[in-house]
Parts: sequence; C-alpha cells; structure tokens
Amino acid sequence: MDSIFFYRNPETATPKDGHLQGLKIAIQPNISVAGWPTDAGSNALVNFTALEEATIVQRLRQAGASVCGSTRMSEFGFGLQNSKAGEAIRQQAADAELVIDLMGESRLAASRMAVCGYKPSYGLVSRFGLVGLIPSMECCGVLSGSLKNIRDILKAIAGPDELDFSLPDEKTPDFSPQKISPQKTTIGIVAEALSDLPAGQEKMFRASVDELKKAGFCLREMSLPDFSLFSLVHRIVGSVEASSCAGRYDSVRYGQRAPGAKNWNDMYLLSRSAAFGPLLKGYLFQGAFFQFERYDAYEDACRIRARLLTDMQRLTSQADFLVFPAVNCAPSGAPSSLADTYAQFASMAFANVTGQPALYLPPAPGAAHPGFQLAGPRLSDARLLALGEHLLNMRQGGK
Amino acid sequence: MEFEAVIGLEIHAELNCATKMFCDCPNRPGDEPNVNTCPTCLWFPGAIPRFSQDALEKASLLCLGLGAELQPRSAFDQKVYYYPDLPKGFQLSQARLPLSRGGGIDITDENGKPKRMRIHHIHMEEDVAKLVHEMEGRLPISLVDFNRAGSPLVEIVTEPDFRAPHEAMEFLKALRTQVRSVGSSECSMENGTMRVDANISVRPRGTSQMNTKVEVKNMNSIRHVGDAIVYEISRQSAAVQAGEAVILHTRLWDPEKKVTLPMRAKFEGPCVPDPAVPVIELSSDWIEKMRSRLPEMPAVKAERFVAQHGLTGEEAMFLSSDPEVAGYFEALIGQGIAPRTAMHWLTTQLIPAVKDRRQELSSSPVTPARFAVLLKMLSQNEINANAAREVLLHLFDSDEAPEAIVSARGFRQVSDPTTLDSLIDKVLGAEPAAVADVRSGQGKAMGFLIGQVMQASGGKANPKIIRELLAKKLGAIS
Repeated sequence: MDSIFFYRNPETATPKDGHLQGLKIAIQPNISVAGWPTDAGSNALVNFTALEEATIVQRLRQAGASVCGSTRMSEFGFGLQNSKAGEAIRQQAADAELVIDLMGESRLAASRMAVCGYKPSYGLVSRFGLVGLIPSMECCGVLSGSLKNIRDILKAIAGPDELDFSLPDEKTPDFSPQKISPQKTTIGIVAEALSDLPAGQEKMFRASVDELKKAGFCLREMSLPDFSLFSLVHRIVGSVEASSCAGRYDSVRYGQRAPGAKNWNDMYLLSRSAAFGPLLKGYLFQGAFFQFERYDAYEDACRIRARLLTDMQRLTSQADFLVFPAVNCAPSGAPSSLADTYAQFASMAFANVTGQPALYLPPAPGAAHPGFQLAGPRLSDARLLALGEHLLNMRQGGK
Repeated sequence: MEFEAVIGLEIHAELNCATKMFCDCPNRPGDEPNVNTCPTCLWFPGAIPRFSQDALEKASLLCLGLGAELQPRSAFDQKVYYYPDLPKGFQLSQARLPLSRGGGIDITDENGKPKRMRIHHIHMEEDVAKLVHEMEGRLPISLVDFNRAGSPLVEIVTEPDFRAPHEAMEFLKALRTQVRSVGSSECSMENGTMRVDANISVRPRGTSQMNTKVEVKNMNSIRHVGDAIVYEISRQSAAVQAGEAVILHTRLWDPEKKVTLPMRAKFEGPCVPDPAVPVIELSSDWIEKMRSRLPEMPAVKAERFVAQHGLTGEEAMFLSSDPEVAGYFEALIGQGIAPRTAMHWLTTQLIPAVKDRRQELSSSPVTPARFAVLLKMLSQNEINANAAREVLLHLFDSDEAPEAIVSARGFRQVSDPTTLDSLIDKVLGAEPAAVADVRSGQGKAMGFLIGQVMQASGGKANPKIIRELLAKKLGAIS
C-alpha cells in the first residue's frame, strides 16, 4: 500500500504552458477529478468515482500544473487523524498540496512539516467539486515550502465560478508581487488568544514575534475577550452543518451497504453506523443532538458567531494584520475524542468561524519556537501573502 | 354541542419552469423514469446547487399575483428528514425566511357574502423524487424516479381563516385561476401540479381557541378537498363529543372509501441554513420590474369588461377567469366584433366545440381572426345563425377562409325578395290552416310558417326578410 498517496495520477504528461507549468500538486480525495476514486477518507464514499472536475482542479491544469495524485486524508478532512497532509512535499513527491481546512487542518499540517500553510478567505475559492462537511467553515488550503508557489496557485484558482453561485460578487485580489513597508504596517497581538496556551507556550510565542519587531513592524496589543468562544461556536455550528450535510451518505449509490437490513430504515441505520469512524460519528451525533434537541443552542451559536465576526472586524480595522500562535493544544498523542480534536485546533479555528485568510509561517531554521499564524481581514489575501514573503526574504538576508 | 371547523391550507404548486430549481435538467417529471437527472439533482458528492433565475421570477410573479409582499431578503434552509425520495437527507426549502408574506384571495362564502381568505406566507422549495411501489413476483419493491427531484415548487400557506369546506373549495378555484393567469403554474390537482394539504381542527361554535389540528393529504381534486374536510370535521366532532383527545398527526384521504385514515405522526424536521445557496436579496427596482410584468388579474379584468364592454358581472367573471378565454374575447373585440356577439358565440358555440375536440383554445385551428370573419358575415346578414354554426364546424376541419367555405358550400343567406316570394307562395298554398290561424291573430302560427319557408330554402333564407314578406302578404302585424 502506498503510505502517502491514496491515488497516483497514471497520466504523467505535463502541460506545456501556463504560469504553473512544471509545478506538481497533490490534492486530497475529497476534491473531484473526473474518473478518480473520491472517498473523502470515509467508508461512506468507498467506491465513489467523481463524475465531474472540481473547478480548482480544472483551473490548476489550465494554468499548467500537473495534479500528481491525492494523499491519504482524515475522514472528510475533519482533524488530522490518519492524514498524510504535507508528506508528499516532505518526500519531494509534490511542490504543493491542496488540503481542506475545516478548523485549521492545512495550517497545523504545515506546522508538522515546517512548510507554509495557507487558508484563503472564505468565498474566494470555488467549492464546486469539493466533497464537503461543514460548508460555512471549510475552505481549500494550500501547503508549500514556497510562498511564491502558494501565491501563484491562488492566482490560478481564486475568483468567481459560474458553477458555484455561493461565491459573493466581490473583486478578486490581485496576486501580483507587492511591497510591504514594515514602518507603515501594524500587526496586532490578541491577548486572549494566548491565555489558554499550554505552559511555556506563551513565552515561546512572545519570543517568536520578536522577529516581527526586529523586521521593523509596529506591534500592538489588542483584546478580543470572547476569543475562547471561537472554538465552541465552531463545534456547535460545525457539527450541525456536518450532520445535515452527511445525510446524503446513505450507502445506496456508493459506499458500503451493511448486510442484514429488513427495510430501508434499517438499511440506513446499519450502513451509516458501519460507514462512519468513531470520531466523525460522535461529531454527527452531536450535530443531530443540537438539531433535534437543542436547536436554541444552535441559534445562539449562530448569533454569537455574528458577534465574533464584528469583534474581529473591529480588530482588523485597527491593525493591518494580526499574529496568532500556531500551537497544538491537545494534551498529547493522537487525539481520539472530539474535545481533544478541538483542543488541537484551538488557536486555528477562529479563521474558519470568521472566514478571514490565515497563513502559517514555519520558524526560521534553528529557531526554538513552533512558528506562528498571520491573519488579515477578508479578501486581504494578496497583502497577507506579501507580508509572509517579506518575512521569509528578511530571514534570507533580504530587505 | 355545536362545533365549528378551523381550517388552514398548505398548497404546493409546481412552477412551469423549463429547468429544475437547482440545475439545468429539464423540468419534465412525466418523462421516462430517471432521464432528467444530473449529479446535482441526484445530490452526488461535490455537487453544488445553482439556483434558477427563472424559478425566482415565476415564484415572484405568483406572489405578486396573490397580493403578497415580496421580502427583500429570503434564504434556503436544509430541511432535514430521511426518506428514500430524498437521497441527500434534507430538502432545500425557505423555512425561516420565505419569499413573500401576506396576501389573500376574496371569495364568496356559503351565504353569498364576500370574505377575504388571508395568506400567511409563500415560500419556494424543491420537489423530491417519486416513489413507485410495485411487485416483482411476490416481492414488493420500491422504485425511485428522480425526474421530479429538484422540480421548482412554491408552497402557499394560508391563515386558518376557513370555517367550511365550501370556502376551501372556492379559495382553491380562485387560486388556480389567479396563478394560471400570471402564467407561473398549471395548478392541476389531477396532474399533480397542485397539491393541497388541509389542517383541520374543531372547536365549540362561538369560541376562539385553537385546538390540536390534524393534517389531511392525498386529495387529487378540489372536490376531494371538500369531501375530506366534511369527513374530518364530523370525525373530529364525534371524537371530541365522545371525550377523546385529538392528537396531532397526518391522515390520508381515501377517495374510494371516502374516509381519512391515519398515516403517521406529523413530522417537522429541523432546519439548517445552507451556505451553498446564496441568500436572495430583491431590490425594490427588481420587485417593481416584476410587478410591471404582472398581467391584469381576473377580478380587475372582470371589472373592466363590465365597464368597457357592457357585460353583466357574471359574464365578465366567466370570461376573465381563464386568461386564454379572456385573450380570445379581446382579440375578437379587436377585430371589430360587438362585445355581446363575441361573448355569446365564444361561450355557447366555440368553447364547447373546442372542448368536444379535446383541443386548447390557443392552439385551435379556429383562430380569433377566422372566427371574427365568420361573426362579421353573420352580423352583416350574409349568413344566418344556423349557417354560422355549420361554417364553424367546417373551420375546425379545413384551413379554407370562412368566406370560401360559405360560397363553396352555399351557406350564403338568401335575402332576394323574388326568390323568397316564390318559396313563400308555395308554403302558403300548402298550409292553409296555418294561414287562417295567422289571420285570426295567433302569433305561434307565424313562427311555424317562417320555419316552413326556412326549410324550403334549405336553411339559407334570411329569417328577418321572410317575416317581413309574410307579414305583408298576410296583412298580419309581425
């Protein structure tokens, strides 16, 4: 068994033109490529072969990239259990990877591999052909050792799609290179994002942002008192959406049908209980609980989400960018419970709740900290990537 | 104790759009099973719904036609339930933010008094697949036809304003007329393009409480809706009088046995906003543009027919209730036909003839232009009424001009006094008794003589001139 790839593209011919020419990109099996097995890491989709081509895949190919295969993923990309995200880059089998980001997976996977991980603004990249789980939170993230690769990929895939009406009618950012002047740029630090970090991590984060200070940026302490609610809101709203969205996995046309059913209700119950793994099943149960038993709590979570969005907009209007830790806050080992999974992404989920872009930057070689995340307001994607490129340049002695 | 019923209706109307609501598949549920499908309406992984502009326009026109207020902001939710007719586990429906609120229809109640039936709201939703239950040998099997999955629907939810089956039936008839005239739906209960659920409860007459209701489905004609409500009111009244509690549930109307039978507990699934379907925001400009596309509604049209063409209220209502008939009538007026002649010939001759042939007025070979030529020949005494009826029948079978049919088949009316004179003399010679009767003042005998002359002319004589000539010859007062 291929330990990294779920499917390798047998087609090795590479496109002859386009600005991504020569770039090898790995995707995940929740992104449709016509004719490829597309199981989204779940038994619920076993034997499902995509009929259509996801818009992002079509655009990558049009821009000259070769899509080399899909890597093993967690069930529906929820968490990083059994995920091989980033491994194809580490083993030089790909120059970049597309990794679904539901609550920070692309950024956390990047931090494991010490590469850059980027989650674009919600609504900037078409979701047509994406086998999703949490439609209002998820977004296709990009991993690469090079921020120029990420910027070039965004240039190819971002923008309106006539197959995805949910993309708002907005101006697509210009991903051409742009200059950042540190003295005119304020970067905010949100105090409450640091308060729940494991022991010693806050000090390490403070040390890591020294790099920003040394580069000449103005740092500013800020406050978002309800920061801890991002995770909670994500957990409630996300589980409800997941429960509703996963309703279609009924084992009828694809997926594994459990034997022994007496009627169709039985068939649904038996097949669905056999199809989903324990972590996801718990998540779907939780969502169903909020849907059927505590709808009021779900509505509260939606209202709080709207308030958090306003709070975040206030911060991004007072600073150009924000810097956040990128710490795995789970107790230890591979998290198997929902609580542990959410703890893992406690410093990442905010960007999925608000839909703002977030960039994970790995530490400079030899640095003792785990790197950090930079975030900006929605649609600040091009400037955010430019900021990342500026910092990486500085590390290499540039100005 | 005397009971009164409290009834609210939920009406699903299928919009007559060319495509389904969220994909480009043809909206033709009646085709061979499962030919009109795609990854989107089969809800395959990765598919994204793409909301149809046509569905929005047709639904909006329907709302405006029913006097409803289009909402500046409406949205689709995922309405969760598990059933094989809905393979994605939820139906896209505007559960929280409907397309329109308010509106209503004026009907006449059982006592002949006008009564306004209010509409609570109208929302859009997608239809689900159709289940067909069959036997394969001894094995019962269920087949799923996805042609209907994703067909565009609106659901019209009324206030519980109805107190009697008559009111529900009048409302549905008027609703059908109005929706047909805006052109958004065929609204045929027989063909399933209009489906009605009735929510019925009873309470002691004179009280105002709202008791537990029962939902009744599966009526496939307006008459069945009336019958089902009658049955349900008596069933519930008897139950309450016997001290039994009414439980919230759904019942099916059995048209053979004429009873309602319990089906299941009423189920209301939870709703989750669907971020894949954009929120619908209607600007006031857009709403005005829709309003300007709204045809004249039947009630307004009827008033105009009375004022402009001197029809009676009843005649005007009849003509305006069907947009095709109203259009035909106005086309005849446009060709210079007198309104009363047009009304009379349209309703007593042409419409029954079209119905006999199972044709539609709009596609009938008797176009307004051809029919108008015929009616003009009638009013100018070139043919008589009998001949006009004959020529009309020929118009269905031949594409010849009415004048040509009249000439070729000798339908032209004989008004020449010399020709008629000799016919009259012949009849007078043969009917001395009738002649005597006329001379003694018996008017009936005059009619008999006119008929005889008519017969002798082969039906072509001008009856007015016969009467004049006869009167002159017999010295009678005509």
